[in-house]
Amino acid sequence: MTETWSVILALTVGTFMIRLSGVLIGQQIPKDGAWARGLRALPGRLIVSLVAVSLLSGGPREWSAGAVAIIVAVVTKNLPTTMASGIAAIWLLRRFS
Amino acid sequence: VINQQPAADNIETLMIMPHDTPRDVWTGARDVSPLAAGVAIYGLASGLLAAQAGFVSFQVGVMGAIVFAGGSQIVAVQQVGRGCWGRRGDSGGTRSKPETAPGHRLDPRHLRRSSLVAGCARRACHDRRKLGAHAGTARQRPERRLWYLVGGGLCLVLVWCLATVAGVIFARAIPEPEALGMDFAFTAAFIAIARSLWKGRTDLFPWLTAIFVVAASVRLVGVAPSWALMLGGVAGAGMAGAIGHD
Repeated sequence: MTETWSVILALTVGTFMIRLSGVLIGQQIPKDGAWARGLRALPGRLIVSLVAVSLLSGGPREWSAGAVAIIVAVVTKNLPTTMASGIAAIWLLRRFS
Repeated sequence: VINQQPAADNIETLMIMPHDTPRDVWTGARDVSPLAAGVAIYGLASGLLAAQAGFVSFQVGVMGAIVFAGGSQIVAVQQVGRGCWGRRGDSGGTRSKPETAPGHRLDPRHLRRSSLVAGCARRACHDRRKLGAHAGTARQRPERRLWYLVGGGLCLVLVWCLATVAGVIFARAIPEPEALGMDFAFTAAFIAIARSLWKGRTDLFPWLTAIFVVAASVRLVGVAPSWALMLGGVAGAGMAGAIGHD
């Protein structure tokens, strides 16, 4: 129980530090150039990395469900539809394969 | 829902407007309400994962209110479930030393959002600025009114808290969430978000760089997944900075 609250406290402190650092040093963040492009790109690349990590931690069923979700995301650009298709795909694969 | 990237990047344009009043809290909440459906889905997924990691509904509610970090929060909870904080996966009664908070590595959008709010609130008092920095989310469009931002952010905080707690309760009612494929909700959600961030061919090489670095780190070097995530993100961003142009 204490450990869980420690995790929550650590997340709270870290999140507020990141947010307040934006308030305090936001004006110093470069607006153009290589650093600015890198900072702008960082959230997207982290999310791509996160998807890669998630899929790598699974097996062929997760990869297949991931492929279905990617196709649906490319076609629909819709979050709920992509989530529903991914969940349905992994459910079907686990149940029937 | 997923195409909610900032419409304006120039902090200098975000000056507080003379007609900004507390009444704009309601306007902000009303305008952001269409996003609430997407936030609720994330929240449910986060609650499900939190329940699987051993969190109780009260803890999840508190975490949702004071951390309020969306996808970063989901990643952190997932790391708890994997034992990266020393909870699960420990053997022989020994607990591994917790890694640094992986969720904090994920979302520098909060820093950028805070900097936008800071520009917006340049003439506002410091307390209001802090409130705006917390309640403003990475998925809000930059607006010229601070109270408007606060209203929208508070609406999403409320929805997020309720949805995460509902997710925990829902998970308790389902004996095996994995049997229903609910554990894949997180991956599918981030696939959709990644799709929304695709801007064209210029993204191809940085994306492939990130994926390659993650795969090589995990499979060839044996780096922990949370660190591989960080390495992949930084490598991809570095590539985008190196080969792109303004």
